[in-house]
Amino acid sequence: MNRQTQTFNELDRVIHEPGRLMIVALLFAIDQCDFLYLQHETEMNKGTLSSHLSRLEEAGYVEVVKTYRGKVPQTLLSLTASGREAFKQYRKKLKKALK
Amino acid sequence: MDQVESLLKRPKAYYNIDGAGELGMGFMCLGYALIIWLQMHTPKDSIWNQMYMLFIWVGLMVAIIHFGTKAIKNHITYPRTGFVAYRAQNRIWTAIIASVVSALSVAGLVLAAHSHRHIVMPVFFIGLFFAAGYAFGIARSGGVNALFRWKWVVVLVQVIGSLLIALLHEDLTAALSGGSSLPAWFSASSAGAFLLWLVLYGTLLLISGAISFWLYLCHTQAPAKEANEPANADV
Repeated sequence: MNRQTQTFNELDRVIHEPGRLMIVALLFAIDQCDFLYLQHETEMNKGTLSSHLSRLEEAGYVEVVKTYRGKVPQTLLSLTASGREAFKQYRKKLKKALK
Repeated sequence: MDQVESLLKRPKAYYNIDGAGELGMGFMCLGYALIIWLQMHTPKDSIWNQMYMLFIWVGLMVAIIHFGTKAIKNHITYPRTGFVAYRAQNRIWTAIIASVVSALSVAGLVLAAHSHRHIVMPVFFIGLFFAAGYAFGIARSGGVNALFRWKWVVVLVQVIGSLLIALLHEDLTAALSGGSSLPAWFSASSAGAFLLWLVLYGTLLLISGAISFWLYLCHTQAPAKEANEPANADV
């Protein structure tokens, strides 16, 4: 196995999936957002987005907080410290693999 | 990799997706233009020429912009395309850069005026500088959102407008200022040119912000009223 293949194999599979990569990249640039923002930016349907978020929450990369904005329920999402670190490592490894 | 980098830029472009930023800046420029005009056209001892009035005026403008932007975001943007809270460090850097740029612009203007030079050209350079800042904002978001590309026309109008102001005859710009309350070191034509530039820049930003707002409303859907299941109550 050459070094490039090895680097590709080392990529975090939770983040590497295109849908989840979009979510993590968007969350990385901000402090937090709601479900609607992610749905608008990723153009995913509610079911697909929920499923990706559940997977990221299981991995400990995303924190989900249910709250209210006035009388409207709101789901706030943010990257955890380990999620941020995992994305940084992912970018580093991807850059290395693509060199 | 480029797509990942582009995704990282998207939230920054989202801040002004509804044109609220431009509307606020435009309002601020026109507000400054109005207070400067009032100061120049009223006697030195009038209420408009008192320092406390300037503070009240600026405080009032900042409050209107702050609560106005908040109202647009809370009642229109967040229910349509979602809520975003930006990282604190980004906001601090934006505030620092904005303060430094404003301070340098004002200091440059005052220095030029103190050295008894005709400051129409510095007004032109300030115009160019702000047009470059606006262009930077479009470049940052234009690659992400095609809806912002028409704003290059605004940059062009800003540059041409600043140039035309610099080329205006001194008598014409001097007539705008009135000159009754101007300090001795500040020429009437320079004051008039600066006032004209503020009006031009503020009006352009208001128009650009209004078009952005209209385009945003056209390209996004109003939130559906679901009895017990709001769009945000997922996961």
